[in-house]
Amino acid sequence: MSCSPFDLREYFLKELPEAQSLQVEAHVRTCSTCHEELDRLVLTQAALFSLRDEEIPQRIAFVSDKIFEPSPWRRWWSTFWGSTARLGFASAAMLSVAILVSALTRPAPAPAVKATAPAAIAMTQDQVQQQIQAAVDLAVAQSEARQEQKTQRLVADVERRDAEERQQLIRVANLQIDYVTHRADIRQIAASDYGPPRSTAGDSK
Amino acid sequence: MIFRAVEDADLIRQAARGDIEAYNLLVSRWEKRVYNYLLRITGNREDALDLCQDVFLKAYQNLRKLDDPGRFAPWLYRIAHNEAYSMFRKRRPETDVEELEPESTHTGITVGGSSVFPIELSLAVASALERLSPEQREAVVLKIYQGFKFEEMAEVLSCPVSTVKSRLYTALELLKADLAPVKARGVS
Repeated sequence: MSCSPFDLREYFLKELPEAQSLQVEAHVRTCSTCHEELDRLVLTQAALFSLRDEEIPQRIAFVSDKIFEPSPWRRWWSTFWGSTARLGFASAAMLSVAILVSALTRPAPAPAVKATAPAAIAMTQDQVQQQIQAAVDLAVAQSEARQEQKTQRLVADVERRDAEERQQLIRVANLQIDYVTHRADIRQIAASDYGPPRSTAGDSK
Repeated sequence: MIFRAVEDADLIRQAARGDIEAYNLLVSRWEKRVYNYLLRITGNREDALDLCQDVFLKAYQNLRKLDDPGRFAPWLYRIAHNEAYSMFRKRRPETDVEELEPESTHTGITVGGSSVFPIELSLAVASALERLSPEQREAVVLKIYQGFKFEEMAEVLSCPVSTVKSRLYTALELLKADLAPVKARGVS
């Protein structure tokens, strides 16, 4: 068992801070037991170091293989975030773009708004007038068409009634003619059967 | 060492973006250490080489998940540890992880029956290491041969620092009993 102020093995393994190491060294110079223990540790380590590192029998090397490489996007992303300078430049560029966009999209001064407003209203009124005129023209045309149809219908009716009246008159006239002719025939027959025919003047009574 | 760590961090960042050449350079810096770590916990060169290739392939595929490039070493050894124990489980699925032993012979680390360490001391060291449990051996390898700190070892082994210390100190006691006399005789 060591009587060292700090663990002799930690001193031997270089795990102690500088100040504690100095205290252990001072103790070892005066303590034969700890000195002997430290010697044994040193001898053990020297023996272990007789087992030398070997050279690797075959060098390990990698060739560029797409299977094992990160994707271009991941490489770009890793590169982007891995570089402070690039990140800073990108931030500055984004800020510049934001300022530029803000300047370009700022609302126009008030007079410009007033100047453009009447033009827009005038154009709207013209369009409204045109639309009203078109609607009126359409309504007028439709009304005229309806009136035209009505007039044609009335004219047709009048002509039809006129034709019917004319035919009625013709029929009446024909009936009168037939009647007169029939009476004349009857008189002629009567005159021939029952005595000499009488003068027409007497017939007229 | 710090300069190299900075360079490693640069290579890791470049490799994470898909730079194969940067990753190959990173592999060339670490392959010998990882190979020897795997060799000492598996006891077989062929297994160590196969696992080493798998480790670096898996590390490349998951490099983007490494948040701190400064933690590359424990992260890489964690992959190596997992790959080695995954191999142990596949070969002996009925055996608990705590009971897993590396596939080595009593004459030391061998390939095709030939001894890797011909000299007496190396044989004694190999024999002493074989007598340790796999957890104790791995703790020794990570601390003595790979130079990790306790916190890094805990990260690699996925266990508390106290467990790491317990395993390592027990292993050192066993090794000291076996090797210190041997070394002393060799020196004297």
